Formats: sequence, structure tokens, C-alpha cells
Amino acid sequence: MKNKFLRWLDGDVDLMEHVLDTAEVPDHTRDEIKTREEEEEKLLIERYRELGQKSFYTVYHVVAIISCVLLIGVLLFTVARLPEYGHENPRTVEVVSRYVEKGLEETGAINIVSGMILDYRAFDTLGESHVLFTALICVMILLRIDKKNMRTDYEDYYTIKQDAYFDTSQDTIMRKVGMVLMPCIFLFGIYVLLNGQNSPGGGFSGGAIMGAALILFTASFGFEKVDEFFTLKLSVVITFVSLAFYSFAKGYVFFTGANGLENGIPKGIPGAILSGGLILPLDIAVGLVVACTMFGFYSLFKRGSIGGA
Amino acid sequence: MMGEWIRFGVTAALLLIALISFTAAVFGANRFGFIMNRLHAAGIGDTLGIFGVILGLIIAAGFTMYSLKLLLIIVFMWFTSPVSSHFVIQVEYFTNPHLYRNVDRETKESEE
Repeated sequence: MKNKFLRWLDGDVDLMEHVLDTAEVPDHTRDEIKTREEEEEKLLIERYRELGQKSFYTVYHVVAIISCVLLIGVLLFTVARLPEYGHENPRTVEVVSRYVEKGLEETGAINIVSGMILDYRAFDTLGESHVLFTALICVMILLRIDKKNMRTDYEDYYTIKQDAYFDTSQDTIMRKVGMVLMPCIFLFGIYVLLNGQNSPGGGFSGGAIMGAALILFTASFGFEKVDEFFTLKLSVVITFVSLAFYSFAKGYVFFTGANGLENGIPKGIPGAILSGGLILPLDIAVGLVVACTMFGFYSLFKRGSIGGA
Repeated sequence: MMGEWIRFGVTAALLLIALISFTAAVFGANRFGFIMNRLHAAGIGDTLGIFGVILGLIIAAGFTMYSLKLLLIIVFMWFTSPVSSHFVIQVEYFTNPHLYRNVDRETKESEE
């Protein structure tokens, strides 16, 4: 018995041999596999012909060639009609000069980029925010772990062990540095968010900084501390309220503007924090969506849930 | 006039120090074979190089609000760069079974 155990330890004997499936798998050479695949392909093509799809491959090739040629033609046509390098394009100059000359007057924002993306072209930014929200939903569909797709206990034991192995929140250095840096980064994110109409920054960059601060908080203190205030419900509520506010506020402004009505939103003094009409509230809405999305991505990729639920 | 020249000289010396340390960092991070040596070289650029460049710029520009912001960048880099190196090395320590082939430590040679 002892001898058998030692032989098993060395790998000479397999005690579980009668349990495991030991059916012999024939070892094919590469040529055999190749010929077999060709035969199967021929069989499939014959089956297609039987089904009356004789012309399928012909049509397929013709459509592929036509669409490629059309795409090439459209692109070459567009390139040929572009203005020459170094010359002015009268059409773009018209729009750009309007933005530069009347941007401050019409939007009330010193940062013309903010005035552009949140006032003149606010629908574009609305679409971008919704793209972020949709991406978060897609990642949640793919990666979220709940009772329906929970792995077995055995696997969970190993993943938990592995996570604890690289857990940064147990590290003293990380805790101390996070304690010092996290409030500063959060404050900087809020500063960038609120000054979007006066200085470089705005919703996307400020929200990204705030999301990074949340991720740093998680890395230094663990998910348990974050779960106390940032639950899935809070994330959903924040995202929904922000996007709904954005849609309704901008819809109202576009409706009144298209019909030549006054919208009654004060522009404020340029340079003050409360200025620029709707730009500041829209910046805050976009920033909150971006922060929730960034932290949601991190949380879903790290452990498969937001807020521990 | 003399003060201007002194300020210029200090700035040039600091930028030169930064340039030397960045050169060392680039060569070291690309030419060394083992990750600990490479991170040590990269850390020199992240700390001494950034310090030299930004302190030189502060002295060249005088003490204004913008110099204070630059000073904050030094503080931020000196906080974050060593922490990131620390974690990269920690992962290497936990995952590389042949770590002691590259580390000069006589008592652990039997573990190879």
C-alpha cells in the first residue's frame, strides 16, 4: 500500500484510472485532418446546392465587390473635394468664426469649448452621455454576478483566495497614501467640474477625476467601505436623474429657441461660477454620469457587482 | 542684474540634473533585464527628474500662484510613483518562483 502511494506520488500509477474515461483518441496526422475538413466542406456545399442556394456564393462575391468599390469611390470623391492644404475652407470658417466671435455673448461661457459642446451642440453631448450609460449596462449584462449565474462554491473559494492575495487594501502604505491623496483628488475633481465654463475642464474630465478618486478610495480601504454609501440603487438613481434632467432641460431650450421664444434662463456675469446659463448644471449632470460609469466599470471588472448586491 | 544671472544659473543646473537623471532612467528602464532594476531606474526619472524640472521652472518663473500648482505636482508625483512601484514589485515577489536567481542573496540559494 505504502509502495503504491509512493508510486502514485511519483506519477507512475493513477488510482482513479477506472473512474476516468480512458477511451483511446486516435491520433490523426495533419494531412488526414486536412483531407477530412475538405471533404466536410464539399459536403456542406453540396447541401447548399440541394437547398437551391446555388447562386448564393456568386451573389455574395458580387455584393462584396460592389460595396467595396462604392465605399472606395465615396471616400475618394470626398478627399478630392476637400480644400487644399493651407487654404481656407469658407464653409467651416463661417461656423468657427461665429463660435469664436459670438460664443461668449450667446452662451455666457468664457471657455468656448464648453459653450460649444454644452450649448451649440448639446445634442451631441447628450448622445455621448447615453453611450456611456449604455456601455455600463452592457458591461453589467456581461459581467454581473448574481444568483442566476453564480459559480459553484468550489470555484468561489479559489477566486476569493486569489483576490485576497493581491488585495491592496490590506497594505499600510496604500492606506496612508490613500488617506492623504483621496480628499485632494476628489476636491480637484469638483473644482474642475464646477469651473467648466471658465477654464479648461468640464463634465467629462471632472467626472473622470472623481471616478478615479472613488477607485483610489476602493483600492486603499476595500469595497466594504464604499458599499456603505455607493450602492447599485444610488448609482442607477444618479445616472437616471442626470440624464433625464439633461434631456428635459436641453429639450426645453431647443424648443423655445427653434420657435423664437425667450427661454428665461439668466446668463450671469462671465467669469463667475454661477454663469453660462445651463452650462453649469449640464456639466454637473455629465460629470456625475461619467463618475458613476467609471467606478461601475472598475467594480464590475474587479468583482462582478456594483455596491455588493 | 547679478540676481538674474544667479537665478539663470540655478535653473540651468537643476534642469541639467533632471536631464541626466531622465537619461539614466530611459537607459536603465530599457536596457536592464530584471524588473526590479528596471523599476529602480524608472523611479529615478519619476522622482529626481520631475523634481529637477519643476523646481527649475519654479525658480525661473518666480513665486506665483502657478508655481504653487507646480509644487503640488511634485508632491503628487512623490506620493504616487513609489506606491505604484511598490505594488508592481509586490506582484513580482508573489508570482515569480525564480525570484532568487536575480536577487543577490546567499542564504536563499537552495530555493532555486
